[in-house]
Amino acid sequence: METNKNPQYILRYFDRIGVAEGSKLLLSAANVEWTEEHPEWPQEKPNQPFGRMPVLIEKHVDDTDFVICESGNIERYLARAYGFIPSDIRQAAFQEQLRDQASDMFAAFISQLVAKSEEDRRENFAKFDGLLDKLVEVQTKQINANGNNGHLFGDKLSYADIVTYAFYKIIVVGMVKRQANIVDIVKPKLTPQLIKLITAVEANPLLSSYMTRSDSVAAVVTKPTSARL
Amino acid sequence: MLSGSDTVYVLRYFDVIGRAEGCRLLLTAANASWTEEHPEWPAEKANQPFERLPVLVERSNGNEWILCESLTIERYLARVFGFMPTDLKQAALQEQMADQQADLLSAFFGQLTATGDMKSKQIDEFNTLFDRMVKEHGRILSRSSSKQHLFGDQLSYADISLYAFYKLFIVYLKCYQSDIAEIVKSKLTPEIINLILSIEKEPQLAPHFSKCDTMAAIFTAKDF
Repeated sequence: METNKNPQYILRYFDRIGVAEGSKLLLSAANVEWTEEHPEWPQEKPNQPFGRMPVLIEKHVDDTDFVICESGNIERYLARAYGFIPSDIRQAAFQEQLRDQASDMFAAFISQLVAKSEEDRRENFAKFDGLLDKLVEVQTKQINANGNNGHLFGDKLSYADIVTYAFYKIIVVGMVKRQANIVDIVKPKLTPQLIKLITAVEANPLLSSYMTRSDSVAAVVTKPTSARL
Repeated sequence: MLSGSDTVYVLRYFDVIGRAEGCRLLLTAANASWTEEHPEWPAEKANQPFERLPVLVERSNGNEWILCESLTIERYLARVFGFMPTDLKQAALQEQMADQQADLLSAFFGQLTATGDMKSKQIDEFNTLFDRMVKEHGRILSRSSSKQHLFGDQLSYADISLYAFYKLFIVYLKCYQSDIAEIVKSKLTPEIINLILSIEKEPQLAPHFSKCDTMAAIFTAKDF
């Protein structure tokens, strides 16, 4: 499929699966020309608008650049620009709240990961665990209300599908090196509805080029657990 | 305005400034019909969609619609009541500022709860981020046609969000850290103080100050 060559995008982030994942998925699904930059860090920190990443640069033929930061903001901008967020304000807000909740859950995951004392780690883990359980419950309820067709809303790949998938990818693929037991913790909590959504997102034609260079989340979450000997 | 005249809102939160001030200011500026509920906590936790607050309840034509997450609620109200630009790029610039401010709140709690050798590192990070935020506010203001508004010449989501942000740090967070108000005040430029006080004087926000104090008394002649 011919990509839309104007505008072009640069996404600056670390070379890892992290909070920029949703943006990468949206750029891919939007079928625009985009590249990733992995600035030397922390040397390039002062050269970023807010000293942090991700950063999205939208380049135009007339050499004007539009630069924005903040992962959630970048996702919402791309999703609106390329039609993945509904134009209906209520529907849009309903999808956005799912992303914000997933982001809170991920922040809690990081808190328990970096906790110094065992007491803090246990307390933070309990918070992460609670947020994840609630998120799974709300997501599954919405998938069911939508007819369990592999989408949270409607029958096309949406912003909600993408960001929901992205946060599960960050945790069960991106974070495995930092916390080996995370798959064993998260996988049993995933409902069949969520596994169906994850599989459907990966199978969506809009993401076929993205999937040629990305690890599969579906492979991780559908892998049979070894039988206990 | 995309809200019917028979639409009423209920904002559920704790009886504190906290994370709901932006929502309160937006509902006030919009001249919406709204009330606040302070659910018994944690008794009412299980009755909230995500077991957290704030929650926005929108009632119209006998229907009830519920939204969670403070920033999602803010962006929704801003769009419904015309405080968010319809241009995607302009909206993204305002939302970015609000998201950066939210990061700063996280950094505040990070440095508050850090212990050992992480403590001074987190405090430095918080201070660096806060200084950068003030600089960013100043940069946006310097490009604005009006010194009373961040974007354009009317009250916008960004103005309300900025006001709520500084109110949080100057009026509220001292309940967690007694010296934070003074630390933050010392970082403010006269331009930012002027902006805060100008926003406060917006006629659309007047009803808000029948329920709480203005910040005007907190800034003395020395701050200008």
